Amino acid sequence: MGLPLFDAASDPGPSFLAFAEAAGLASPPSTAPDTVHATTVVALRCAAGVVMVGDRQATSSYIASRDVRKIEAADHFTAVSISGSAARGMEFIRLAQLSFEHYEKMSDVSLSLEGKANYLSPLIQRNNLTTPLIVLPLLAGWDPSHQVGRVFEYDGAGGCYERQDFAVIGSGTPFAEGALRLGFRPDMSVEDAVELGALAIYEAGDNDPSTGGPDFVRGIFPMIVTVTEDGYREYSTEASAAVFQRIHDRRRESGGVAGGSLR
Amino acid sequence: MSNMFYVAPEQLIKDRAEFAQKGIARGRSIVGALCDDGVVLVAENPSASLHKVSEIYDRIAFAGVGKYNEFDRLREAGIRWADGTGYTYSREDVDARALTNYYAQYLGDMFTEGQKPLEVEILVAQLGSAVRTTKLYRIAYDGTIADEPRFAVLGGDAETIRQRLAESIPEHQVSVAETVRLAVNALAGPERSIRHDELEIAVLQDRGTRRTFRRLSDDDVAALLE
Repeated sequence: MGLPLFDAASDPGPSFLAFAEAAGLASPPSTAPDTVHATTVVALRCAAGVVMVGDRQATSSYIASRDVRKIEAADHFTAVSISGSAARGMEFIRLAQLSFEHYEKMSDVSLSLEGKANYLSPLIQRNNLTTPLIVLPLLAGWDPSHQVGRVFEYDGAGGCYERQDFAVIGSGTPFAEGALRLGFRPDMSVEDAVELGALAIYEAGDNDPSTGGPDFVRGIFPMIVTVTEDGYREYSTEASAAVFQRIHDRRRESGGVAGGSLR
Repeated sequence: MSNMFYVAPEQLIKDRAEFAQKGIARGRSIVGALCDDGVVLVAENPSASLHKVSEIYDRIAFAGVGKYNEFDRLREAGIRWADGTGYTYSREDVDARALTNYYAQYLGDMFTEGQKPLEVEILVAQLGSAVRTTKLYRIAYDGTIADEPRFAVLGGDAETIRQRLAESIPEHQVSVAETVRLAVNALAGPERSIRHDELEIAVLQDRGTRRTFRRLSDDDVAALLE
């Protein structure tokens, strides 16, 4: 690639996608078959920010991978996660990360959280309306200008909706959402939100064949991420293992049933 | 009917060089120098928002002197080139030397074929890694590249400042604070001092994060120069 210079009228501005398409780097997706899917992620608002928990399993007609990362830091204050086609999803995360950084370097200011959330809409449209390889993301982060955590979900056509409580994506949604609906309270502490998010993923892993629960044999656990005033933080494997061990122990005591309460 | 006069190529080049030098000489200067754990870029810049020093990529920084709109356009092109290359291949494939060559080709083309040469001089700095070395490349208005081993000075008063810095800078690389002090003293000269808020300073330094560029705030600058 040569030096990408544009005249004032055709300059793509600080949007990486506009530039990538003008330079022919990113072509619209093709329609190759792809059956690998990546699967349940929840995002919750809490008093100090947001919490995201996501399983690690990629599924085609069998389990394709047990340690996929479906949550990534899009930047210091933003977490983005994906469900749907794994190939498209990974590309989606890469494009989102790059776009936010590109904007920041080009304009010397960070995009607002709402700006980042809106930026994903055309990315989803571009993907989902041109291929059967559907991708649905979640975006959650700390909004420095309003000093709150915020959660955004999307529909298949790219519509962006802010949620005041929580959002869920992936095939395990009904099970995870059930747990969240019963357990969610506004202004939860980060720790309580982590516990509830983990329980939701545990439920999804327990009921949905395409969602992986905690894997005590291989030592692979769902990802737990918090985004607060201090930025994006990821739980270590040990820390995530401890959270899921507690749920696991309670379930063992009750013989495998939730038993009419959230535990 | 227009009259075409013959102008000898030597004269043409000389005129264009003089034109570019005059434009560059109007602005204030920039110093880029290696320190013991990175690269320091110091610019004298009365504006707090029209930057002369910027981030290009994880380990690459850009500095420009001369006409702001001209070097800012080169900065933008550099960011696009770097992000595009990293997206197409891998982040570690983004190399300052390749970018420097593109800049040099463009500046060279504009110098010989453009309506007018660009009135800019730019610096591309790279922080070393496992696969690359720390580098300072200075690119002149005519596309000439200089690979500066220790420090680079750009701008109107470059020759005087270069001499001052060459006399004061030690053989071995010193800390960020000491390097900044030496650069600021060289920029200011013996008769003058530069106010902290008229200094624009950035560093490339490993801090355990992917991105190594950091702009120093006025408070950081004051603390460093105390």
